[in-house]
Amino acid sequence: MKQTARIISIHAADTSGVCSMLYELGGMVVVHDASGCNSTYSTHDEPRWYRQDSMIYISALTEADAILGNDEKLIGDVVSAAKDLSPRFIALCGAPVPLLAGTDFPAIAAEVESRTGIPAFGLHTSGMRSYLAGASEALKAVVSRFCTDALPRTDAPSANIIGATPLDFSINGTVESMIDWLNRSGFELVSCMAMGSTLDDIRRASAAHVNLVVSSCGLATAELLLERFGTPWVAGVPVGKKFPAVLASALKTAAKTGECALPCAERDASSPVKKLAIPGETIFSGSLAAAIESDLGAPCRVLCPLEAEDRLLAPGDIRIFDEDAAAEAFAASSVVIADPMYAPVCPPDVPFHRLPHEAFSGRCYRKESLNLIDRPLPWRF
Amino acid sequence: MLKLAFYGKGGIGKSTTVSNLASAFAANGLKVMQIGCDPKADSTASLHGGARMRSILDLVRERNNDFMLGEMVREGDGGVICVEAGGPTPGLGCAGRGIITALEKLQEKGAYEVYKPDVVLYDVLGDVVCGGFSMPMRKGYADRVFILTSGETMSVYAAANIAMAVKNFRGRGYASLGGFVLNRRNAPDEDAKAAKLAVDFESSVVGALDWSETVQQAEQLGKTVVHAFPDSPMAAQYRALADAVLAAARKGDASC
Repeated sequence: MKQTARIISIHAADTSGVCSMLYELGGMVVVHDASGCNSTYSTHDEPRWYRQDSMIYISALTEADAILGNDEKLIGDVVSAAKDLSPRFIALCGAPVPLLAGTDFPAIAAEVESRTGIPAFGLHTSGMRSYLAGASEALKAVVSRFCTDALPRTDAPSANIIGATPLDFSINGTVESMIDWLNRSGFELVSCMAMGSTLDDIRRASAAHVNLVVSSCGLATAELLLERFGTPWVAGVPVGKKFPAVLASALKTAAKTGECALPCAERDASSPVKKLAIPGETIFSGSLAAAIESDLGAPCRVLCPLEAEDRLLAPGDIRIFDEDAAAEAFAASSVVIADPMYAPVCPPDVPFHRLPHEAFSGRCYRKESLNLIDRPLPWRF
Repeated sequence: MLKLAFYGKGGIGKSTTVSNLASAFAANGLKVMQIGCDPKADSTASLHGGARMRSILDLVRERNNDFMLGEMVREGDGGVICVEAGGPTPGLGCAGRGIITALEKLQEKGAYEVYKPDVVLYDVLGDVVCGGFSMPMRKGYADRVFILTSGETMSVYAAANIAMAVKNFRGRGYASLGGFVLNRRNAPDEDAKAAKLAVDFESSVVGALDWSETVQQAEQLGKTVVHAFPDSPMAAQYRALADAVLAAARKGDASC
């Protein structure tokens, strides 16, 4: 069946992407949805929920409010809560019911901002797209609003990391390892968007010489910073032993020339030979494919089940829109490295290696999640 | 680019008036896009011989998102770019949500950037009955709302409801009220009623149209009055209204 997932999971929705991206920034995130759905956005998709405070709320939308268009209740509740909590910003986002009711979140945000004086923005989430779309729009909205001044570049080479959320990188030291690697590669960190950095760190983003985009949800923000401040970006995640050096070199070149680069997609998967398949977010999966090819010599191709620009795919990478396509692609592969929830559609004669992806399986396999940054890969083929 | 939305009670003559305004603007050398926001998809019929055209939601129904911008439009008399939002299967679905989807598709596929119209006219079904029918007045769509009314009580009542909605949405950055258009039905004291309505909303009656058989004659031909009977007194009234609407829309907006 097309466009269905009968057996495997689906990726976290755009609302989860918003909550994850904005979790640490001191803003108030309000999802306009029925009460009870908060557990989906927070506990299932959010490993920080029990150890780190954040202002993520659900509006407790009722059937009557939806039918009657009772936006004033939402506005009143948000304004009241904002006066108690004094958040740095307010993000309003929707779910399927507001989508059908045509709720105008940017307009509601404008009203909230005019009543509270707190920067507010409405996001076009609907629960119908993946976490990448929500995380991308949320981060771009924050950066667009708060990174307005062109600060002098830092004296020493420096970079922002853009697109880091637990949905892609879990809480297993991966992000900290990326920052360590960046420092060892000769770059100071200005901000990590958005794990481990404050909103004030992010406000200083224009001081960086280059941006490292580690997930496709960071690309729109990187493009904004390029347009606004001329900061070039490089897309890739420093996984494995040899690929980090390629990425570090690309960062240095970009900082020097101002040219953007996509080392994660500088591969060629178009030869007819059977390949190792890596389904997932394109920048991470593309980086892992490059790392496996250089470290282990196994030809790879990325299977893209999510929204991604064509330029993030290498020749021969393919899009998989449903589980039938995933099963077909797995059957044509030599090996599969994927989230454990893909395993049921992988043929038994194709070796399957587990690599949990929080955006796909939530907390189910969190204990198995791997930190692959700047170290030997754990597989042999 | 000037974007104008026209609202008013059902049957008050919005599509006829808007199509004649489109013809009048086009005759003055302006590039015009008329977007019918009504599930019946007949707003622009008099601009292309009375024939029905394929609506955006017809395309969505048949091909989801797999269609091109050029398939969503049809060039009508005087070069007016005609678009019909369309609607769900009668009796099913959600017409208001359909309008939102149709207008979003038009924007996504770059209609305003590609055709670069000088004037965009949104002809909106009846009253602002739900979020979908407020879409044409939302930020990024119309700049000004014009409300058609006659002097009949129910028409004035509907016009006041729409004007109140426009007023209530002021804090959201929606379109502002451009004024009222009186479409005379020979009801008692209708000029006075329309004038009072305008005063109540601190606005004005920007123009008035007489009841005329010429309108029905043009409709029979599948044309606008301005196009079919350009020398008629009624065509002159539409041209005068077009000038008045433009002047009212530009008032207080240097960018227009």
